[in-house]
Amino acid sequence: MLKQAVPKQAWMWIAIAVVAALALLPLLPGAIDSYAFSFLFFVFIYAIMAQGWNLVAGFGGQISLGNHAFFGLGAYTTAILWSGNYLWGSLYDAYPRIYYFDPVTMVLGGLVAAVAAIIIGLPLLSKLRGDYFALGTLGFGEIVKVMFINGGDFTGGAFGVVAPAGTFDTLLPHYLVGLGLMVGVALAIRLLMRSRYGLALIAVRDDEMAASANGIDVLRVKVAAFAGSAFIAGIAGSLYTYYIFHVGPDSVFDLDWMLLPLMMTVVGGTGTLLGPILGAFVMYAVFDLARIVVPDYHPVISGLTIILAMLFLPKGLMRSFGGRVRVV
Amino acid sequence: MQAIPPPEILLQLSLNGALGGAMYGVAAVGLSLIFGTMRLIFLAQGAMIILAAYFVRALFYGLGIDPFLSLLIVVPVGLGVGWLVYQGLFRRAAAEEDRNISLLIAVGLMFLVQNLMTVVWGGNTAAVVTSYTASGIEILGVRTSFTRSMGFLIALAGTGLVVLFLRKTLVGKAVRAASEDMEAATLMGISPHRVNAIAFAIGIALAGAAGVAVATTFPFNPFAGFIFSLKALVALALGGIGNVAGALAGGIILGLIEAYVQYFISGGWTNAIAYGVFLAVLMFKPEGLFSRPYKKA
Repeated sequence: MLKQAVPKQAWMWIAIAVVAALALLPLLPGAIDSYAFSFLFFVFIYAIMAQGWNLVAGFGGQISLGNHAFFGLGAYTTAILWSGNYLWGSLYDAYPRIYYFDPVTMVLGGLVAAVAAIIIGLPLLSKLRGDYFALGTLGFGEIVKVMFINGGDFTGGAFGVVAPAGTFDTLLPHYLVGLGLMVGVALAIRLLMRSRYGLALIAVRDDEMAASANGIDVLRVKVAAFAGSAFIAGIAGSLYTYYIFHVGPDSVFDLDWMLLPLMMTVVGGTGTLLGPILGAFVMYAVFDLARIVVPDYHPVISGLTIILAMLFLPKGLMRSFGGRVRVV
Repeated sequence: MQAIPPPEILLQLSLNGALGGAMYGVAAVGLSLIFGTMRLIFLAQGAMIILAAYFVRALFYGLGIDPFLSLLIVVPVGLGVGWLVYQGLFRRAAAEEDRNISLLIAVGLMFLVQNLMTVVWGGNTAAVVTSYTASGIEILGVRTSFTRSMGFLIALAGTGLVVLFLRKTLVGKAVRAASEDMEAATLMGISPHRVNAIAFAIGIALAGAAGVAVATTFPFNPFAGFIFSLKALVALALGGIGNVAGALAGGIILGLIEAYVQYFISGGWTNAIAYGVFLAVLMFKPEGLFSRPYKKA
């Protein structure tokens, strides 16, 4: 029927080759200090965020407009645990770098976000559908932000929290952890979507009533997808904290952390596995290029790019050029 | 928490809250129309309001046209811009099943408008100061600002006109029919594109009217629009999505809530409580505060 631009199997090999190239990039002399390195680090963060949004919205069909709140929760959790040394006690004195990319801290960042998603998701998803759910999550995001601004000493108010270590001399660990997380999240979602649970999620998206009639607990599936999406966003927030150190309400609860990944996912291809990653790469490149070439106009260019992409590529890159893409 | 204040203060709070809230209301009426026909959360509405405010300011300082008189220019221009925005940007997306596309176009438009304003007028706060900006009038024994009262009147008149249009004209009926059931309306020979374009034209014209009210009342900057969009959404939910007069009432209620929270609790919590009310309404009374249970939207 459709002529395949790229054969099915090829996507997997392309992905593996790209990941291998990215993993080997630091070995290139000068690469670590190059601009491309920090550029790629941000692409990884956005790709992780986009993947998280894609899980609940692309595969689950529930448009969340509150993923920036989960990103911020992960970032704050990391910064607070670290600056207050709540986790490692005296070990921290012995190993001052113990909080750096500490898996326990990062997973806790994701878990806090996931728990928040369950708390808010249960009432919202049992009552609200479609646009109403989207509006509800948007309101939730704003509430969380105000709560952190008014959180007193614990959250540092409008200023936020500063993580104790202030500098790093290399971006290498950030890069590798970012790459690892991006690949890990993609693999996890691939596994998930091929499992019973993934099928249930897609069934719920395509026809809630039919899914329910076939014995799927619709609410549980939706809430789990929402929580999974929040977990991924929380981990991304945690990763960002190790880069930015200063976690403030205006920086980590910025709506851009929701809007940009959403945009990247849609440009790449909603409900595809590689779409969010491709979208993050392409869109971040466009934004960054605009920032360098026409610094005064770059947000104008970003806005224009979104509009043009949606007008001419509404199905996203993966579905437009990917031939018959196998969705997961 | 403060003790119960004397009645004059309560009246003052209520009046200021209601007058300010009417501006959210008029923005919400526009959102309501667009949402009604297109099922699109038009996030760029706030940015369009601020754009109109800058336009009013340019007319005032450039050509000496009184801000309230400029309604006669801003509203027709808004109608035209709305029509063009629909035909140019949303027409294709409206036919797509995936409504993320329209939402993202709205977001792109918001970025575009905000940043074009920054490029043209700079990112600083701007205001329109006329000879009567500081003057006040007395309503019910309470002094309030003249421009705020005018803003309220604009909101009332704008909403009234829209309600009349929807109730009394054939085109208005088509818009209402399309909001209730686009498929059935299409079967009755109503063109979805025409109805959508009309909703957009009126929505942006209302943004223009709101822009006049904002320009004369508040200082504004290119990025002030987004919070306005959010507040308008809250007003929309309070009033019941699709209920035009309810949207105005929802805006007024939101204004009252904000005024009371600011006085009795603290300014810092205003937004959280406003969104809390929003969530509560969405969950427990998603049809809005004013609709009777049997009536759909």
